Amino acid sequence: MSSSSAFNDEKGGSSSVGEPEYGHDPASGGIFSSDYKRHDDLKEMLDSNKDSLKLEAMKRIVAMVARGKNASDLFPAVVKNVACKNIEVKKLVYVYLVRYAEEQQDLALLSISTFQRGLKDPNQLIRASALRVLSSIRVTIIVPIMMLAIKEAASDMSPYVRKTAAHAIPKLYSLDPEQKDQLIEVIEKLLADKTTLVAGSVVMAFEEVCPERIELIHKNYRKLCNLLIDVEEWGQVVIINMLTRYARTQFLNPNINESLLEEGGEKEFYASDDDEDDEEKKAEAAALAKRKPYVMDPDHRLLLRNTKPLLQSRNAAVVMAVAQLYFHLAPKAEVGVIAKALVRLLRSHSEVQYVVLQNVATMTIKRRGMFEPHLKSFYIRSTDPTQIKILKLEVLTNLASETNISTILREFQTYIKSMDKDFVAATIEAIGRCATNIGEVRDTCLNGLVQLLSNRDELVVAESVVVIKKLLQMQPEQHSEIIKHMAKLIDNIQVPMARASILWLIGEYCEHVPKIAPDVLRKMAKTFTNEEDIVKLQILNLAAKLYLTNSKQTKLLTQYVLNLAKYDQNYDIRDRARFIRQLIVPTDKSGALSKYAKKLFLALKPAPVLESPFKDRDHFQLGSLSHLLNTKAGGYQELPEWPDSAPDPSVRNVEVPEWSKCTSRKERKEKKVEKPFYSDSEGESGPTESADSESDSGSRSESDSEQTGSGSESEESVEESQSEEEEDEEEEKMKKKKKVDKSQPKKSESAESKIASEIQFLLSTSVAPTSSPQVTPVNNFLSSSLASDLEGLSLTDTVLAPTTIAPSASVRMYELLHRITGEGLGVEYCFNRQAFSPDPHMVAVQIHFTNNTSCETKNLHIEEPKLQSGMRIKEFPEIDMLPAGESVSVVMGIDFCDSTQAANFQLCTHTRKFFVSIQPPVGELMTPIFLTENEFKKEQTGHN
Amino acid sequence: MISQVFILSSQGDHLIYKDFRGEAGKDSINMFYEMVTSLSGAQPPVVMRNKNLNFIHVRHSGLYWVVSTKDNPSPFTIIEFLNRLAALTKDYCGSLSEKSVRMNFALIYELLDEMVDYGYIQTTSTDILKNFIQTEAVTSKPFSLFDLSNVGLFGAETQQSKVAPSAAASRPIVASHGEQGGKNEIFVDVVERLSVVIGSNGVLMKADVEGEIRVKCYLPTCSEMRIGLNEEFSIGKSQLRGYGAAVRVDECSFHQAVKLDEFDTYRILKVCPSQGEQTLMQYQLSDELPCAPPFRLFPTVEKDYGSRYSNDMWLIFIGRIVAINVSVTVPVPKGSLSLSQELSSPEQSAELQPRSKAVLWTIPRFPGGAQLSAVFKVEVPRLSSASLLEVGPISMSFELPKYTCTGLQVRFLRLSPTQPGLSQRWVRYVTHSDSYTIRI
Repeated sequence: MSSSSAFNDEKGGSSSVGEPEYGHDPASGGIFSSDYKRHDDLKEMLDSNKDSLKLEAMKRIVAMVARGKNASDLFPAVVKNVACKNIEVKKLVYVYLVRYAEEQQDLALLSISTFQRGLKDPNQLIRASALRVLSSIRVTIIVPIMMLAIKEAASDMSPYVRKTAAHAIPKLYSLDPEQKDQLIEVIEKLLADKTTLVAGSVVMAFEEVCPERIELIHKNYRKLCNLLIDVEEWGQVVIINMLTRYARTQFLNPNINESLLEEGGEKEFYASDDDEDDEEKKAEAAALAKRKPYVMDPDHRLLLRNTKPLLQSRNAAVVMAVAQLYFHLAPKAEVGVIAKALVRLLRSHSEVQYVVLQNVATMTIKRRGMFEPHLKSFYIRSTDPTQIKILKLEVLTNLASETNISTILREFQTYIKSMDKDFVAATIEAIGRCATNIGEVRDTCLNGLVQLLSNRDELVVAESVVVIKKLLQMQPEQHSEIIKHMAKLIDNIQVPMARASILWLIGEYCEHVPKIAPDVLRKMAKTFTNEEDIVKLQILNLAAKLYLTNSKQTKLLTQYVLNLAKYDQNYDIRDRARFIRQLIVPTDKSGALSKYAKKLFLALKPAPVLESPFKDRDHFQLGSLSHLLNTKAGGYQELPEWPDSAPDPSVRNVEVPEWSKCTSRKERKEKKVEKPFYSDSEGESGPTESADSESDSGSRSESDSEQTGSGSESEESVEESQSEEEEDEEEEKMKKKKKVDKSQPKKSESAESKIASEIQFLLSTSVAPTSSPQVTPVNNFLSSSLASDLEGLSLTDTVLAPTTIAPSASVRMYELLHRITGEGLGVEYCFNRQAFSPDPHMVAVQIHFTNNTSCETKNLHIEEPKLQSGMRIKEFPEIDMLPAGESVSVVMGIDFCDSTQAANFQLCTHTRKFFVSIQPPVGELMTPIFLTENEFKKEQTGHN
Repeated sequence: MISQVFILSSQGDHLIYKDFRGEAGKDSINMFYEMVTSLSGAQPPVVMRNKNLNFIHVRHSGLYWVVSTKDNPSPFTIIEFLNRLAALTKDYCGSLSEKSVRMNFALIYELLDEMVDYGYIQTTSTDILKNFIQTEAVTSKPFSLFDLSNVGLFGAETQQSKVAPSAAASRPIVASHGEQGGKNEIFVDVVERLSVVIGSNGVLMKADVEGEIRVKCYLPTCSEMRIGLNEEFSIGKSQLRGYGAAVRVDECSFHQAVKLDEFDTYRILKVCPSQGEQTLMQYQLSDELPCAPPFRLFPTVEKDYGSRYSNDMWLIFIGRIVAINVSVTVPVPKGSLSLSQELSSPEQSAELQPRSKAVLWTIPRFPGGAQLSAVFKVEVPRLSSASLLEVGPISMSFELPKYTCTGLQVRFLRLSPTQPGLSQRWVRYVTHSDSYTIRI
């Protein structure tokens, strides 16, 4: 891209032009200069045939546009220049056109033909910019032209033009939503594109036009994951967000087993919706734990692995996108990696800090442990703006726990001295929250807060009073001293909220301060008329409560206050006074309620819960604008809940044409290296038998029996499983070949060489890159007996119909149930590589039961298969009885759907049930098949 | 995605306005400005919402850079985009100010046109954009070699001694055609920001250094550049070699273009810098400074007779370099009326700022190893011992040119192949205070 500087090449005329005088704006030429005159001179310049003048005029016009001045009357003059040869002028004309085309539709149409010509230009940049401008002209008449242009550009040679096509899709969609179906076709096509330049743009289009068509992603999922790291940064953000949504619909919750076993807050969170008692929950949890452990889908793992390096990106948006992906998708144990990256973002601009902290605050509520090691990073600096200080406080409060509370409180102490009053108020509230959450420090906090009451700053005192009030509500008995102290403060504190809080406290706990309370009421009655509304309401409350507990001293006072309130300006206060009077003052026709007045007013109030304001934020997708605003922004898409059972994972399998497979060996290798990461099937690393290794082992008879199966698809996986062993085997093979060479009696030369060449061919393709073909004169792949069998046939292509070859090998036994866990019943299985006759799609699994106990086992059978979608099991017939010390073999069939997912089922005896699973190594899922050279070629052309 | 982009001056003048999707009306600018100004707080929130239109803004050089959107994009994307836009504007126009934006609006408009297509961000890379941008930048003042006054270190305004011509680092990256000023220059800056908290007992409670190596490149053709750092440079504690005075950092990250094949053995960064400004490397060091914190302050607060209290301070600067633009902010109790001061030299000044309730003591130049003292007597009506508690933590800001706290140095800076003609290479060091707090 950077190398092709096509626009610069054609530059020329500009150097002679003097610097345009931007210093004084041509558009603001004073009150007296009339508009038409000014534009006249621009029009003249545009009509001239000197490029330099045109350029000068265009620059001035664009300057007007940029300032938001109206330049629409110049449209006809400008549009003429769209065909201008000078690329600079052309460019500026494009800028102008995009701005005004909608207003001047008829005139804009004049320019269309120029763009259509531009679409055919040999220069990719011109093609792209023509498409870009064409699609930006919002005129409904040209929709068909745009559609055509987009379709053409989508198959352009240049990825840059294809990228532009992808960008044009949402524009056309917004202009005419009727085109959706056609556009989706284009999107589907572009999604299959393999260049990184296109990937980001087309996903943007996908998200805007058809985010609900998630099935379009299936085939491209793995490709997108692999390309992700090379996509440009803005594309990465969009792709990651889309993949997060995709993964939520396609994979299982990796924390599904832990979620119920979690301790503490999280348990409450998950269990809050069901009302079962603890016993049941535990039983449920136990059952879950017993169940087979969760196995992550390899594709899920792929996504997590490929996004992880992006945490190092220098673009904060990418880092945050990955962080939210991990937060929403990763198993709990792995989420920790994002903490460090997010903390690093805290060193960025204050705007970025602000958004990061918002997200961190939400995360800390759900997963506190993640950020605990980084506690110090959230300490407040004197230079932080207030909003960031408050967010940091929020995070610190969320992180507070028994272990670190002392450090945090010490830190808070210094914050109180800050000059920023909003921040001090927030700090005091934070102390209050720490005190409620952590019982051990409640008294310390309370003492500290009481000390603050003597602070000279009214705001500090007021905030402390409010927080103390909340704290006292939790355990009022021990703190009558504090209440007394606060009663004294009422003379000095002017902040209404604080006064109201004190009054409420005294009223609520008037029994603890029986002597002071009436006195306070007396003082307040004096100043009643000058108080704020909330204070007045609390005075009324106090009066009512005192009247009920201590009517002897306060009866007159209460009457007085109620009378004052009766004539208050505020109707709330008048209402309240009327209500209280009816309720507490006994009259002859007082209602039934007045009996309960005491209960009404002096009921035990539950202590308030000091909660984080971020508590409910987590139902928005992190890192989205909606999360930041805590309201749904337009176009917000809910993050779907995890599915209960995983949809078919095979939809993501992509059929790769064989040729490209052979060439892409390197990639394959890489994949291979990563494989142990997620697949723990031993079969793969163990010595699986490849078809070619042991021709002269005794099991020749088996080779005649036919195995059917889906040959073409399985080839891919043969290669995968074998390439590992190839290296080792190659040498061995060579030796053997030589041996075979010598030992085998000479067959008819011609036939043999023919077979050899065919076999060779077969080998070199299906067993991808094997040893160099020229050194394999006769391949031992073909056992001598088979060779002679074939010899008997006439060796023409027509006769050699596709037969299948069963590989002969000593089969490996896998353990299904150890005899100790099986309480004496030992079960092993092997893939006997025989055709499973009832259903050709199934893989035959031979199961070998051994009864090691001293008594017989009865009714061996299979129950409750738990299968991935698409998988099927054909059970073996029930074994009625297995005597002690005996063993028996049965064959069952499993259709693994060509995936390596395990088949889970229960193995039942008459007394017990055992959970078992069979996971096939890749190599066992296929049958080798014999093709002639011609057929093979035919097959290939089919693929291409 | 992005509906509109606009740039406003701090007075609310429209500098740039571009509508990408035609979703929101033109009055949104005024709507935004009203929202920003109606908030009395120190800083308006980054994201604001009006009905269903969301404004996301950042501030750079006193300008509001605003995006409005009706959609649900990632706020990071927008903020990052705005930051990049500001950086690109700086690259293209030389410096970032209301004036330069005003003079170059056609250029910026064109830039926006290339960067964003129908609200979708296409690219923000200077290298790619260079091919498309036709308009030339207009610089505010003509470039002159003789203008050797104060140097503006990009990213860090300083009064550094005369090392490089002043306008050198603040001219547009993309050289104008036919202008003879297109010199081959490259600037490598090592900028460190220091944040320190010293407890009331003089113990260092927290110290953090954040540093970065920045390159601003004017070379027309990119050739490979090799930057050699101190050989004893080590990352993390495990890598310490021997007992020598190692230059240690805890963590560092590199620009993606940096090749690190020689980094492990020779501590050489190899990079092909593209034109414009880039941060090659960022590093952090926390909790442990290789040297003592540069300033020590010994304050005492005493109650004088009547309603006065006095605040004696000894300020010691450890080191052999010169600190400039030192200022000390000492909070004073609410309602402080007047200040009388005794300062140790005439160039210093101190004034009481009643609005921020602080005394600001400024020291323009502070040579290494010197001790300064100041006595502030503050008149506070109704002075009580409680109000003395309001004399809170003292904060300092300063600048240490030609000095890095970690000791990181650039050993050499080589260009290969050597540029034809004259190419000038500048290496500059500076340490800033990020937050330097001394608790009382």
